[in-house]
Amino acid sequence: MQYTQIQLLAGKGAGDHEFTAALRGLAVDRLDFVYAAGDREVKVFDNAGRLRRRWSTSQPGLSVAVCGDGRVFVGQAGQVEIFDHAGRLTDTWRDQERLGLVTAIDFFKDHVFLADARNRCIRRYDGGGKFLNDIGNDNRMKGLLIPNGVVDFGVDAQGILHAANPGKHRVERYTPEGKLLGDFGRFDGRDPAGFSGCCNPTNVAVTDGARIWVTEKAGPRAKVYDSGGTLLAVIAAGVFDPNCKNMSIAVGWRGRVYVADTVKLAIFVFEPRAGEAGAA
Amino acid sequence: MSDQMTRRGALATAVRGAAAVALGGTAFHLVRQAGGQIVWNVDATRCVNSRVGETGVEVCGLCTTECVVVQSAVRAVNEFSKCGRCYICPAYFNVTSAANEKGLPSEKLCPRDAIERKPIGEVDPDDPANNFYEYVIDEAKCDGCGKCVMACKEPLGLGSIQLRVRHNLCVDCNHCAIATACPKDAIQQAPVERAFDHVPPGANP
Amino acid sequence: MSIEPRTRALLSALAGLILLFAAHAAGQAIPYERPVQVAPQEESIGGGYVTPPVQKPKPRAYWLEVLDVGLLAAAMGVAVWLVLYRRSRNGVLALTVACLGYFGFYREGCICPIGSIQNVAVALTDPRYSIPMVVTAVFFLPLLVALFFGRAFCGGVCPLGAIQELVVLKPVRVPRRLDRALGLLKYAYLGLAVWFAVQPIAQRQFLICRFDPFVGFFRMTGFAHMLYIGAALLAVGMFVGRPYCRYLCPYGGLLEWVTRLASRGVTVTPGKELDCGLCQEACPYGAIEKMRAVRPKCLYCARCFSACPHEGPLAKKKGA
Repeated sequence: MQYTQIQLLAGKGAGDHEFTAALRGLAVDRLDFVYAAGDREVKVFDNAGRLRRRWSTSQPGLSVAVCGDGRVFVGQAGQVEIFDHAGRLTDTWRDQERLGLVTAIDFFKDHVFLADARNRCIRRYDGGGKFLNDIGNDNRMKGLLIPNGVVDFGVDAQGILHAANPGKHRVERYTPEGKLLGDFGRFDGRDPAGFSGCCNPTNVAVTDGARIWVTEKAGPRAKVYDSGGTLLAVIAAGVFDPNCKNMSIAVGWRGRVYVADTVKLAIFVFEPRAGEAGAA
Repeated sequence: MSDQMTRRGALATAVRGAAAVALGGTAFHLVRQAGGQIVWNVDATRCVNSRVGETGVEVCGLCTTECVVVQSAVRAVNEFSKCGRCYICPAYFNVTSAANEKGLPSEKLCPRDAIERKPIGEVDPDDPANNFYEYVIDEAKCDGCGKCVMACKEPLGLGSIQLRVRHNLCVDCNHCAIATACPKDAIQQAPVERAFDHVPPGANP
Repeated sequence: MSIEPRTRALLSALAGLILLFAAHAAGQAIPYERPVQVAPQEESIGGGYVTPPVQKPKPRAYWLEVLDVGLLAAAMGVAVWLVLYRRSRNGVLALTVACLGYFGFYREGCICPIGSIQNVAVALTDPRYSIPMVVTAVFFLPLLVALFFGRAFCGGVCPLGAIQELVVLKPVRVPRRLDRALGLLKYAYLGLAVWFAVQPIAQRQFLICRFDPFVGFFRMTGFAHMLYIGAALLAVGMFVGRPYCRYLCPYGGLLEWVTRLASRGVTVTPGKELDCGLCQEACPYGAIEKMRAVRPKCLYCARCFSACPHEGPLAKKKGA
């Protein structure tokens, strides 16, 4: 499969559509509207790349996710803020212990999964904000190995979580109750199907068809695997700033791939070449 | 004749006295603005091998080649509290080499094999990937070539390895030969009280 | 090395200046923010693991540097005593060897009064440079001694002089005019050294240290050009006594000026001159003219006493 870059959104600067310090979270909704969390704001771009909405968050946003009913969850340090589709704050979940640094958010049915990078695991909450169980820390390492400081994961249509474990160079599969089902991935400094360097993949996104989309650092690139762990394509390799780390990735339902360049503070948008089976 | 001699002698004594006072005065003036011992330090925020924000640059080996001491007084030091203790360390292994059958890179990075790798904490004997590893640099072997420093630098690593002047080896030259050659002016003098401040005050560590 | 060292010095200074600007611009680079202390903590690693401390080796203790200054003063005192009062060539020889061993091979020739000229020059012109007291002492002590007693420092205390002193084989007399002309070289070197030392930091060069001919032998290693120059000077020194001291040493230039005012100094058998000229022939450094020691040039080697029929071993044999 081949991907071409079709858009470059945001950027570094003082403009409304630009970021000044950081770009950390990406999410995409059914209309291919892109939600980008960075600085102390969330900016929403439409599928033509125009800035549609922006609103402030009380703390720097580390991750963002859009629920089925249109609510926008923004993960921060020690809390999650929930906004409606227009950007009005409706709720805040606070938990200094369990929500140390919420670097990834995803949903399954009415449950919410929140990553906790400080404790290196994922927490499951119900729709009202009640904690249910932990995922990913019932092992010898007491959590995922994340020297990069970020936990990222995605949930597929069956409710299986695919979490990046960069210290082990693999993506692990968990049930919502926290049981490890399996993993794929291995270290390889030369083969593009492997994960290079000390700790990759840094970020993961999962689409309903259980395709796994990952980004790596140090030789930053974005790739896509099928659910069995076979490399399907290298989406982009040479276009990102070489100093990028922890690039958020999000995939639209039509197959568009959005990758956040954390140095240029821009969002790269890729589309599969015409005629390719790019559907998620 | 003797009068002239004594007059000349007196003059000489006077001039000598004046010279002594001049020398003493200058010495006193210098002592007033004197500092204590000064040492040379590597500023890690400027050193090519550790400064964040540049990738793809060649490793700078000037600290090894320019130092007047046979085995350079500059050595690589691992700040353990910042080390990621990773299973596959890019400073220990050459992560661009092919993977061997155990899933580890086949080559090591250090040309003098100065880094020692050992598992720490609760060791899992069955799965080596389940352990944290400590990477200790044997300073007797290290010569400050900077390869591990560049490999540990962000984004590839966490930047815990830096080049440092080892003050027990440094001969404290008037004007450090490495400082003369350093392309980024990373070798700076500091008073001995700041001999172990490796980050200039106010900079991002 | 195809480029001349001095050209290399100037080119690298220029490049350094350019890069300094570029580095400053590039240094406004990406501010890296890590959200947490990402390295694993001791609790995560478990198993009773404790983060090992990073070694912090201390520099040489300060009191040892002060001791060196004390030893320098003591060695000069011994030199004065040996040459002016005991008048013993053997004593001076022993002192020479001892100082070569300690200040030369053990301390590797650093810090030395010759190089301290540069530090003092910088201290007098750059208010931000604070010169260590030890360096000030090392600069002024030999000058102070010279003011009263002459070049006692050169008499076997200076390791550079000591190493040349020990290779003198068959010294030839250098014609006076040539001697004078060559002697001016050291003032030129002094001027150049001071000039380069007082430059702003980016262009500052410590020439005396860079081109020290004998430090390579003391350290048992060094750049090729320095070792060649040192070997050449030693080879020449077998026939022309102490060429570096007489014609190149910038500190020697300072000592010469100061010694002109000295009240005492080396005298050649005062009151018992024979006018035989044996002392003049014995002096390898051309420091005896008209049967009198020329104090600014006298390097305190005491060969003149040794050769004197009234004083030296000859005299002792005859029982005079």
